[in-house]
Order: sequence, then structure tokens, then C-alpha cells
Amino acid sequence: MTAIQESIQKRAAELLESGEVTQVIAWTNGRFTNQTSPLFIQNAADAGKIVFNEYCVNTLAKYVLNEKIAGKVGVCVRGCEARGINRMIADNQLKREEVYLLGIPCEGMKDRETGEALDKCLTCTHKNPVVYDELLGAEVTDTVSEEIDKVRFAQIEAIEGMSREERLEYFNNVFNSCIRCYACREVCPVCTCRECFVDQLRAGWQGKQNNLNENRFYNLIRVFHIGDRCVECGECARACPMGLPLMELNRKWIRDLDELFAAGEEGLSDELDNTLGRYKTDDIEEFM
Amino acid sequence: MSVVNDTQAAASTGTETFEPKILAFACHWCTYSGADLAGLNRMSYPANVRVLRVPCSGRVNPQYILTALNKGVDGVLVCGCHPGDCHYVSGNYYAKRRLMAFRRMLQYTGLEPERFQVRWISGSEAGKFRDTVTSVVEQVRELGPYKPDPALAALIDSSVDASNPVLPEGGEA
Amino acid sequence: MSRVGVFVCHCGSNIAGTVDVEHVAEEAAKLPNVAYATTNKYMCSDPGQQAVREAIIEHNLDRIVIASCSPRMHEATFRKMLAGTDINPYMLEIANVREQCSWVHKDKDVGTPKAIDLVKMAVAKVNYDAPLTTTTIPVNKRALIIGGGIAGMQAALDIADAGYPVTIVEKESSLGGRMVMLDKTFPTMDCSACICTPKMTDVGAHPNITIKTLAEVESVGGYIGNFEVTVREKAKYVDYDTCTGCSLCETKCPSKVDSEFDQGLAKRRAIYRPFAQAVPAKPTIDAKNCRKLIDGKCGVCEKVCPVGSIKFDDEDKVTTEVYGAIIVAIGYQLIDWTKIYGEYGGGRFKDVISGLQFERLVNASGPTEGHILRPSDNTEPKTVVIVKCVGSRDPEKAKSYCSRACCMYAAKHAHQYLDKVKDARCYIFYMDIRTPGKGYDEFYMNTQHDGARYIRGRVSKIINQNGKLICKGEDTLLGSQVTVEADMVVLETAMVPADEANQIGSMLGITRDKDLWLSEAHPKLRPVETNSGGIYLAGTCQGPKDIPDSVAQASAAAMKVAILFSKDELESNAMIANSNKNLCNGCGACVAICPYGAITLEEITARENSVMVTREISKVNPGLCQGCGACTVACRPGAMDLRGFTDEQIMREVAALCQW
Repeated sequence: MTAIQESIQKRAAELLESGEVTQVIAWTNGRFTNQTSPLFIQNAADAGKIVFNEYCVNTLAKYVLNEKIAGKVGVCVRGCEARGINRMIADNQLKREEVYLLGIPCEGMKDRETGEALDKCLTCTHKNPVVYDELLGAEVTDTVSEEIDKVRFAQIEAIEGMSREERLEYFNNVFNSCIRCYACREVCPVCTCRECFVDQLRAGWQGKQNNLNENRFYNLIRVFHIGDRCVECGECARACPMGLPLMELNRKWIRDLDELFAAGEEGLSDELDNTLGRYKTDDIEEFM
Repeated sequence: MSVVNDTQAAASTGTETFEPKILAFACHWCTYSGADLAGLNRMSYPANVRVLRVPCSGRVNPQYILTALNKGVDGVLVCGCHPGDCHYVSGNYYAKRRLMAFRRMLQYTGLEPERFQVRWISGSEAGKFRDTVTSVVEQVRELGPYKPDPALAALIDSSVDASNPVLPEGGEA
Repeated sequence: MSRVGVFVCHCGSNIAGTVDVEHVAEEAAKLPNVAYATTNKYMCSDPGQQAVREAIIEHNLDRIVIASCSPRMHEATFRKMLAGTDINPYMLEIANVREQCSWVHKDKDVGTPKAIDLVKMAVAKVNYDAPLTTTTIPVNKRALIIGGGIAGMQAALDIADAGYPVTIVEKESSLGGRMVMLDKTFPTMDCSACICTPKMTDVGAHPNITIKTLAEVESVGGYIGNFEVTVREKAKYVDYDTCTGCSLCETKCPSKVDSEFDQGLAKRRAIYRPFAQAVPAKPTIDAKNCRKLIDGKCGVCEKVCPVGSIKFDDEDKVTTEVYGAIIVAIGYQLIDWTKIYGEYGGGRFKDVISGLQFERLVNASGPTEGHILRPSDNTEPKTVVIVKCVGSRDPEKAKSYCSRACCMYAAKHAHQYLDKVKDARCYIFYMDIRTPGKGYDEFYMNTQHDGARYIRGRVSKIINQNGKLICKGEDTLLGSQVTVEADMVVLETAMVPADEANQIGSMLGITRDKDLWLSEAHPKLRPVETNSGGIYLAGTCQGPKDIPDSVAQASAAAMKVAILFSKDELESNAMIANSNKNLCNGCGACVAICPYGAITLEEITARENSVMVTREISKVNPGLCQGCGACTVACRPGAMDLRGFTDEQIMREVAALCQW
């Protein structure tokens, strides 16, 4: 890891020095032990601030969107960031030439409080970046996909196993706990609308009250909007200050689309091909 | 009007004369004309359903379904052309994918499957329209009123949307 | 504040019988923004419409709700009425209180409150109606006809005679289709070639008609008035500009293969015209069977051609042109009975032939020069069995529909056979006799007088025994088993759609029924239109029919095209999608979803938050958009909305409904 950290520092300095990029996005140490936060540097001299350790929990992809206006952005990409970048290119929010991708193989990050592996890293299917300009460090081996899938879908299968009343109560608790801070939206590389539906004033759209109905509406429509595009970076659930299991909503959608329409994983290419934006005439039928 | 007020009162007090409110989104080209044909043939079905005409089932946004349920309908039915018969080539295929996934999501989060149903009904299937509507009404009647938010339910029953009389000039932006 | 007028129709007692219309109007008057509410005996009548017009002026209304029959019935009527007032025709909503209320409920206690709800929903929606306008789109006055059979040719001649250029795309190397393969036509028994080939010549000589043979449509883009069509003309290996049609090459070619035109009953060469009167009257080389093209050893045609027209290096020609209208006339084929009817020998018995093969046998220019001879041994059959409904009206094994023409051509075959062969016996196994048509039943009766024996029942088995075909069946009228020893059996097989029907249907957005026949827009009132504007159907591609019906339908389709071409431009749909550029983030989801290719991404540069920003937004082509609204749901920020059915309108309707 220290080797990778040194490589990032070196390459960041070189890229900034040469003018290839105007900015580099990486991580740096936070105020607390084992805490990191995203870092934005414009000067080669600041490259020394870059940190890469097992506590770099933030997925950096979404930050690119705000920063690209000043010029080409260099950004560290692991599997999760790379798929986010692909997603944003597919959604026409970013052009490939607007970013310089410093690829980093990643074995997974840890929670700074518990020292345990992060939830979102336990279900990671792409430890190596799927797109990059240069790879810093040797590729690591991905866990066998069947084994990952057991973990990936374990929670939703458990929920599906509950009775309807239990599920209702479970999710009513989740929705009741939501404070609608929209952190999940802010970090999501799929949430790239200029004005989110929740911020618009429209009759029958998203109400502004914080109650069970409106919170359910927000969470279910959020999933409807991102479900067929989700790259499973898990950043929404990680960012949620209420610790809500948001990936249990996303993954339900992901697995259903997989089973029904062979959707496959998102963010592996930068072409727009959403599962809900295409159809087959022999799609499975259940509404006759 | 007195009839409606009576049933409404009954519904909110939870007695056995609960009359469900069902909203049916119907594609103009098939189901809506199938519903017209049901009228033409003087078929009879429960008065609990209100048909909302849309040009195509592909126009039905899942947001409408959630909003309708939140605002006080007890069940939502979305009807479109049979796959392959869409007046607009493909609208119902998109609707099918969206609504299949959305319906699973609603059930996953605890909604009774009967409260949100989708059916393909062609312009000639007046009988199917009648039967579908009748069965949805019966199923939802059995489930009882939909209370999406127990804490808010009382409030919704009493006030709903009469609070919205202020209307701007014209409609569109 | 809007000023809404609500007009509740009695429709005689149709609505008033189960809805207290006066009460509905009273309740409507209490709704927000409703300035006036009234009832009328017949809203759609002239006095009813006049009453609305007067109320609009008197009460200064700016939008109206009509509570009446289905909008499918009279929305257009009331729009037209509004066009004569100061109100935009789209400031109108119809509450369907007849078909979906008074007619389905039995008493006023139920009907009245529901009608009030429906009016509430309509008022809620009309408040958000906006004036809509249409734009015009140009009409390219050139027609494309796919298929050069009798229907395609008739349509082409009619349109060309009306003065518009026409292009025929024909997949074979000659015009004529199925009709030109027939011998005589019922019930008049005029020779098919004698009436079909002059039409072919007319088409070939018409200054307004371009013929593309060995051609197929590769792709179709665009919309009514502006179809962009790519056609691939396959290589013919003969230069049609110089070829004189002397046919010397055909006589010298050493490769002989089964003639498709003669249904495999005769041979043709590798360089060939399918039949003598082919139009264009020039040969093509069948590359699959040409020795020169296969292994480079031959080229005799090139040597004998006096004008040097043979071009072995000829290539497919792909052209893209713009047409204003398309007529699909791709016809039919006969069902492949050999795969389905093992009990009839499944094609193993040479003397069990199809009706079309019989046509070639009996044709004077056919392989036997009109002598009816058994394909197996060239002897004259003395007993012939004709089996009808092979593949038709047989839902278990093949098609459930009736192929319409077979009863008549079976009678014709019997008549021809009995006429040509002395001391002959002819048995016709039938299920029913269906002869509606001018002179048709008389023709059938005459065939019976000729001596044809009709046996009501299906043939259950054909056994080939000592050169005889033993046909076993049941005479259902006598209730007994019958066995006929036949020399030859003719199967009158079902018509099924051409192979290309499904592909062409999906390319042009024409729906297909369960049997893949192309569907008309309305079975009674719009029999030649399709649901895609500017695309029409002619002939058997729409369903089995005989020659007179095909020709009539072709002329009807041609008339529709002529009507379209009589205008220089068309009015576009007013209720179409439009994108709010402030909300659109240019993700392109709508572009991918639009079935009409009506949405494109467009770059804009604008000052946003005091910075000049260049970004892409979606843009709707009003000529292409048909107003389905599929894009609006794909649009996550709700930038895409559908005029006439906006999100706001639908949500207001839902809200109004929830007050009930």
C-alpha cells in the first residue's frame, strides 16, 4: 500500500507539473485516527499530502463532475470508481478525455471504528479498475463471482424470506428513519440530474414533508431512477448518516433485472445500454 | 353524493361496507376502448374504478402509482395493449419491464401484490376489462383500506387535496 | 385564474337514465375555477354545440369540460367546434360519463357520484391544459411499393396515372407475382397471363414508374411524407442498359436447375428469365448455379452475347431515397404442406401436387404445354382427387382461418381437368363450400354439372399402391368411409404470409396478427391503412383474398396515397413530447427509447451560474414524435413531458380522484 501511495504521489506531481491535468483527486489523512478524506490538489508541491491506506473509504468518482470545469482531472480509480466513471460517461455527463485515470488495484477497505472490512467491499466484484490510463501496482485476484453473489444477495434473500407484514415493518422502519439529507444522492455516480426530482416543485411529485409516505416515495423512486444503472459502489449506504441499508433496495432491483432480463453488471463499459431502456419482444410475460 | 359520503365514513371507521377506490390507468388505444366497448355492450362492473386515460401504458410513471397510493386510493391498475400490439410500436414493452421491476419492489417493501396490478387488455376485450376490474375491486375490498402511513392515515382521510385550489394560468412550463 | 365551463350531456336517456345530470352540473359548478356549468340534451348536436359556443362568449370561458360519451367518440367533434371560437381546440377535456359510467351502472345512486368524480378529474386536468399548436411537415410526392405482384402493379399504375413518381421494389427478377403463374382465373376463365402480362408491360413502360427487381428494402427511417428508404438491388450480372433481351445466352447456358416459376416441374438455365413474358424482359444470372461464378469455368453466355452485356463482376447496388408514402404488397405463399401432412405422403409421392403446381401443369406455356400429365410417369390421370382446406381451417395442425380463394380455384381445377381429359373422374373432398362473389356460386354449380363429385369430408390418409394413390376419407353426409383410387391428387393448400412479412412488418412498424398477416388500422373502416402514418397495405399481405379483392384493395391504397400527395404539407401531431432544457441533463435515455427516432441530442452553449457552459440536451422532432410518452418515464429529472398528458395534468387528475 505504501508503494501504491508513493506511486500516486509521484504520478500526481508529474501530471500536475507537466500540465497534463489541472487537478488531482485522491485521499488524505483526516482529523481522526485512521480517518481519510478526499483530497483535491492543484499544485505538484501538495502531492505529498496524498495518502493511500486501508481506510480510504470514499469513492471518488462523483467528485469529478464538479471539478472538470476547470480542466482535465486526474483521479484515483479503484474498481468502484472506475465503474462510476464509465457510468457517467455512458450517461453523457463526462467525456473520457476529461479525466486521467490513475488505476489502483484494491483489496478492500476497512471501517475505521470497527477495523472490520467495509460492507461495500465485501460484495465487490471488481477489485481492479475496469478502465484506467495507467495502473499503479499489480492486479489483484477477484473473488469467484458465485461466492460473491452469495454475499451480494444474502440480505435481500433474507428479507424476501420474511412475511409481508415483517417486510412492511422492516422497511417502514427504514423509511421512517430517513432524514432525507440526500447524502445518498450526492455521492451517487448515477445521480447526475441537473435538478433532482425531489428538489422540483411539482404537484404530486416529491412532497417536502418528512414522513413515512414521502420518505418511502423518495427511496423507492430513487431506486427506480438508478436501479438499472447502479454500479454497486455501495457509497449511498456508506454515506447514509442514519446507516440505512440502501443497497438492500438497489440490489433487489439489480437482481430482479438480472433474473428477468439478464441485465448483467453496470459500469463495465461506457456505452449507454440501460436494461429499462431496451426490450425484447419475447421478454418474460406475467401481465396477461 | 350522500351514498359516497356514507361509504367514505364507513371506510374510515373500518366497518364492513368498505368500498375501495381503484385507479386504472388505461391506454387510449386498447384498454380505454375496451372499457368503452364494455359500456356499449351494457356490461356491468363495480363503480369503484376510475379510469385515467393515457396515450400509452409506456406513459405511466411509477411515480404516479406511488402518489396515488399515498394520496388515498386503495389499489392501482395499469392496463395496456398486448405485447406486439402497441400503437406506438414499443411503449408497452418498456412499460412491462419498468412495471415488472417496480411491482416486485413494492411487494418487497411490503405492499400487498393485489394493490398494484398490470394487465394487457385489447380494444376488443370488453369482457376481460370487466372481469379484471371486478376482480381487482373484490381483491382490494378483501384487503381493506390502504393505510400507507398509519400515523398519517387519519389526516389523509379527512383533508386530502382540497388544499390545492390555487391554480396558475395555463399549464405547461 | 382559469374560467372553466362544464357541459353535461343527457345523451337523450343514455346518460340521463342512470346519471342525475342536473346534479352533476350543480356539483361541477362548485368546483374551483368553474365559471359555468350546465346540461344539454344532445351536446354533440348542432344546437348543443351552438349552446357551448354561446356560453363561451357569455361567460368568458377559456377552457371547457364536456361530460358526455367517450372522447374516442366526440373529442374530435368538440375540438373542431372550438376551432371556430376564440379558445384553442386543445383547451378541452372530455369526461366519459356514458360508456364508462351510465352504461355500465344500473342506477343513479351509483352512476351520479361516479359521474361527478369523472367531471372532477376532467376539471382538474383542464385547468392545466395549455393551448397547443401543430407544425407542418413537407410531403415528398414519391411512392414506394414493396412487391410487384398484381396488387403492387395495380397500385403503382394508379398512383403513376395520378401523376406521381412510383418505385416498385420486387424481390424476384420479374414483375407478376403469383398471378402470372396461374393458368385461368375464376369465374370468367379468362387467361391469367392475358390479363396480367399487359399490366406488367404497362408498368414497365410507364414514364412515372421505376422498377427495381431482385431488390429488397434494407431499412426504413423517417415518417409520413419523409421516409428514407434504403434498397438493395442484388447483382444481376447482366447490364440492363445494353441487353436487348435476345435470350441467346439462355439457350447456350449449360447449367440446368429446377424452375421456381414452374414449381419444380420443369428446368431452367442459370442465366434465365423466369418466364417468357417477364418484365423487365432481360435475363439475370443465378449466382448459386452459374459455373463461371462458382469456379470460374464456363462463361459461355459472355461469349455468345452479341452486345457484351454479361458482367461477371457485377455488384449489389444499394441506394437510399426519400419517399412520401409506402404501400406494402408483399403477397402470400402457400403453406409448406409437406412438413405438416405426413398422411398425404409428406411430399414423397410425386403425383400428390399442390394447386399451384396444377396451375403450371394445365398452363399452355407450362412444362407440359397444357396437357395434364402425372409428374411421375407423364401419363394422363383418369381419376383425380382434389383435397380442399389443406392447412386451412385446421387449428390443430396448421392455420385456423379460411383461405378464401380455394373453394373457387378447386372448382376451377375440377372444371379444367374435366374439360381437358375425356372420361375423367374428379372427386373433391371439402369441408364447406364458400362461394360468395359475383358469379361464383354459378361457377361452382357448373362444375358439378361438369361431373365433379363433391364429397363432404377430409381425406385422412393417402397410400401409394401400385402407381395408384389410395385416398381414404369419410363422407360425413353419408356417415360412411370412402376410398378413392386416384391417379393424381391436388392439394388446395392454405395461403400463408410471405417469408418477409414479419421482418418488413417490424421494419415499418406494422403490427402482425397471430398468423403474421400484416394488420390494417381498422378491420372495417380503415382496411388499407396501417397504424403507421403513410404506410398502406394492398393485396394478400393483409390476409387471404382473391384477385378481384387484391386489385380493389390496391386501388384503394393508391387512392390513399394520392390523397396524401394532393397536399404539399401535413399538419403534425399537437400532443407530442417536449423537453425542458433547464432540467435536461442530456443523458440520452429518451433518445434510446424513442421508437420513431424523434429525439436527438443537441449541443447548446449558455451562461449558467455566470459561467459559459456547453452541454447537450435532448430535442424532439415534432414531425416524428407520435406522442406515446415512453420517453417521459425514462427521463429521471422529468425534463421530458408530453403535451396534452403532462405529468402535472395526470397528477392533478389523481389528486382529484383521491378526494372521492
